[in-house]
Amino acid sequence: MRKLLLIGLLVGIFTVLPAPALAAAPLDAKVDAEPAQVSTVLGGRFKITTPITNTGARPSGEILAHLNVASIEGSVYVDPEDWSSNRSQQLSLQPGESRKLAWEIQAVNAGHFAAYVVVVPYGSNVVGNEGLVISPLVNIDVASRSTLSAGGALPVVITVPLLLGLAAAGTLFRARRRGSGR
Amino acid sequence: MTLQVAPPAVGMSEDVRAGAERQSGWLVVAEQECRDLWTSGRGLVLLFLFSVLLSAVTYLTSTNQALNFLEQRESVNLVLQFAVAVGVLATLVVSADGISGERERGTLETLLVTPVPRRSIIAGKLIAALSLWFATFLVSIPYVWVLARGVGILGQALALGLCVGTLVAIGLGCIGLLISAVCNSNKTSIAASIFLLLILFAPTQLPSGLPQGWFFEVLLRANPVASGLAYISSMLVEGHSWTQDLSFLITPLLTAIIAGGALILAGPRLVRLTRGVNAG
Repeated sequence: MRKLLLIGLLVGIFTVLPAPALAAAPLDAKVDAEPAQVSTVLGGRFKITTPITNTGARPSGEILAHLNVASIEGSVYVDPEDWSSNRSQQLSLQPGESRKLAWEIQAVNAGHFAAYVVVVPYGSNVVGNEGLVISPLVNIDVASRSTLSAGGALPVVITVPLLLGLAAAGTLFRARRRGSGR
Repeated sequence: MTLQVAPPAVGMSEDVRAGAERQSGWLVVAEQECRDLWTSGRGLVLLFLFSVLLSAVTYLTSTNQALNFLEQRESVNLVLQFAVAVGVLATLVVSADGISGERERGTLETLLVTPVPRRSIIAGKLIAALSLWFATFLVSIPYVWVLARGVGILGQALALGLCVGTLVAIGLGCIGLLISAVCNSNKTSIAASIFLLLILFAPTQLPSGLPQGWFFEVLLRANPVASGLAYISSMLVEGHSWTQDLSFLITPLLTAIIAGGALILAGPRLVRLTRGVNAG
């Protein structure tokens, strides 16, 4: 009887007490980035690839690879959404499995930037203290260029209306003369 | 639209009658309508105004440094969309004057007694209206060239403008002629056509930052002008392939088929004199 009471007491204690915080499983993965250096001009499009490998002994579960771009020189404001419209890719990897993710990027600011991919766990069971896996930086040098200038457009914006205006005036004048001649 | 300064109706009908004996009726009407549009100076005046507007937009675009990024694709897209929109508007206005204008000026009766089928009259008037669209497109080429040179999208932009613009212009030209055939007054016909065009252009002017749910998507895809312009943007700005957003062209294509079909089927009954209108 005493034994039963003791068991009941223990069960009661373990039921009422809050469960201890679950220890998050570390993310065993490795991310690389290729190429390491990109040089382009303003508006140039390029692609970087990031091979992700599951280096652990367990399946990775759902993970999310997320691309980010940061300015690493000067005070250029960077809106990563302008650089790439698709910055997140969801995947899961078996132990030892590797997958190459491609990222389409367009350089929309001139300056010196870095792009990197961070891998985070994904899903409702994410605790919040899991480790992140981050790729090496891809250095991006974007040269400024301005092929559009008011001076270049000036001959066209003046000549075309001028020629059409003269043609219209000439045609109207001839039509009026023809009308008054009848 | 077919009005000649003097003598208005007799000269037209004689030309049409003599020509109809030699070649296809629609060709004769189209030739006469084009001659009327271009030698009277009306077409050239419209083109001149179009070029002034396009010059202003192009100059403002090229002086705006904020638009210099993204390979000037936005600038090319802006000018091309403007050219297509105004070119289509001019086509719609000219076609809206087609039948109701003849009725109002009292020249329709003379045209109806010529040995040309009524469908040929409609076809000729549509071709004349479309000639204005093709002329506006030719005028817009140097402007697009100025903005697109060095970026490598000149050919793509021009091909897009020509294909999408022609499709939309055919559809709206047919609608303009239908409105013109139904309306007794020329003022009503042109006002109704411009009002229709404003309704069709309104969605294209909504700020892109607004939340765009399924209703906006339906509104965009149901609108032949907005969906045609969206197709141009998707290729020029977003760099999509020509097949990727081809569904945007369904509405302009359906509009051209439905309005053109209605014009072919109902045209002979609609192109007639109406009671209470000066028949010359």
